[in-house]
Amino acid sequence: MLYTVRERKGNGRTIRERLRGGHDLRREDEGHVDAVEERAGLSRSDVLKGVVLAAGAASAPATLAVLRPESGSAAASPARDRQILNFLLLLEYVQEGLYGHGVRSGSLTGELARLANVAGEQERAHVAALERALGASARPRPALRFGSVGSDPDRFARAALELEETAAAAYIGQGANLTAGAIADVAGIVSVEARHAAWLRDLAGRLPAPRAADRAQSADVVTARLKEVGYVVE
Amino acid sequence: MSSNDNAASDAVAGTTVAEIDRDEAFLEAVADVYGETRAAFVRRLAVGSGVLVAALAATPEATAANRDGKILNFDLVFEYLQSSFYLDAVDVGTIRRMPREKERWARVLGAHEVAHVRILKGVLGDKAVKKPFFDFHGVTESEAEFTRTAVAMEDLTVALLAGQAPRFANRALTAAVFSLLTVEARHAAWARRIAGFVPVDKSIDGAKPIAAVRRVVASTRFIAARPRTRRRRHPRFTG
Repeated sequence: MLYTVRERKGNGRTIRERLRGGHDLRREDEGHVDAVEERAGLSRSDVLKGVVLAAGAASAPATLAVLRPESGSAAASPARDRQILNFLLLLEYVQEGLYGHGVRSGSLTGELARLANVAGEQERAHVAALERALGASARPRPALRFGSVGSDPDRFARAALELEETAAAAYIGQGANLTAGAIADVAGIVSVEARHAAWLRDLAGRLPAPRAADRAQSADVVTARLKEVGYVVE
Repeated sequence: MSSNDNAASDAVAGTTVAEIDRDEAFLEAVADVYGETRAAFVRRLAVGSGVLVAALAATPEATAANRDGKILNFDLVFEYLQSSFYLDAVDVGTIRRMPREKERWARVLGAHEVAHVRILKGVLGDKAVKKPFFDFHGVTESEAEFTRTAVAMEDLTVALLAGQAPRFANRALTAAVFSLLTVEARHAAWARRIAGFVPVDKSIDGAKPIAAVRRVVASTRFIAARPRTRRRRHPRFTG
């Protein structure tokens, strides 16, 4: 038998017992993503369809039909990249817009104000990176309206967190559909969205990393939610 | 593998995947890759057969799949390193002595890294590399050193996974690795805030190739060739 001193010290206790100590690691955390799914009327099993099928979910609005793989096969291609990157670019425009709205409102103070400045600048860089990757194929900048979201710091923080969680889940959902070049373009972006989400959660007193593997969201669900919040002027 | 490891992995099999990977996002993703139901996939995990390995036999592009396996194995070594690091800090009492919020941070990160090991081992099956021996040179015994190293390690994992995501021949593995990448990024942001750094210091996280990550890991000397002794009559630390 081969064991080291420290393994011996842990002997008799499971890894879980060692890690948990007096803490309940299962502490429920009502994620915004959960709320979104409930509002969208999706069952848990719908949500858990998984990332591979994510882009091909049924009952897509017409605008997203392009993201659905034809005849069940989801071959990545430059043309498909352009569609997907434009979908992600829209999310970046909305995020950049919301942080700008929050900063201009003047209601944010302390660390939340700092976060809005830092994250806003980073979303601007994401917009620039995706525009660069898309070149002439980049979609036009949408008209945005955020109403009075920025007038209340708590409301702003909730709205920002929902967008960050949605964006991270949307990127994961498209991971299987992009070409290697496009994946390299977005890999360092999705992680920054997750960092923003963790920071916002921490500020709100919520668990910054509520699960060991993050979920994907289909383009359909993301688009439906965007419509619902009404930030993009149609 | 020692019997202690077996007991530990049994405990993890029955609990961590279900409890920590609550939404089973990763399992679902991987199960989809191979056209299995999640339940079938979990059964396979339980009996320890490798889903990836099983898929290799079925795919004509065995070379590409083999390369995917190598990439995942490097990730696995890194997850071993991280989970051992947090478990070591638990065992030497450093985590217990930290303020409550910080203690929660360290325990949650440790639990996630253990879950990641379990998940990757399940995907790789008998192609999974064995856990190396680790020697943290006392870093886990000092709260300040432990925290600083945790920040560096989480940031490095983000760079590693961001660099590997485009390299999988099987694109579904890219999506699955994305679902781990975002979690490591959350860890990094949380760790940075705990340590008093800005949680997000770059607009776009840089990707590091495996060779660069290898060099960083080598410089820490955390991975030991062999334990210095096979058995100790008396533990060096009595806690």
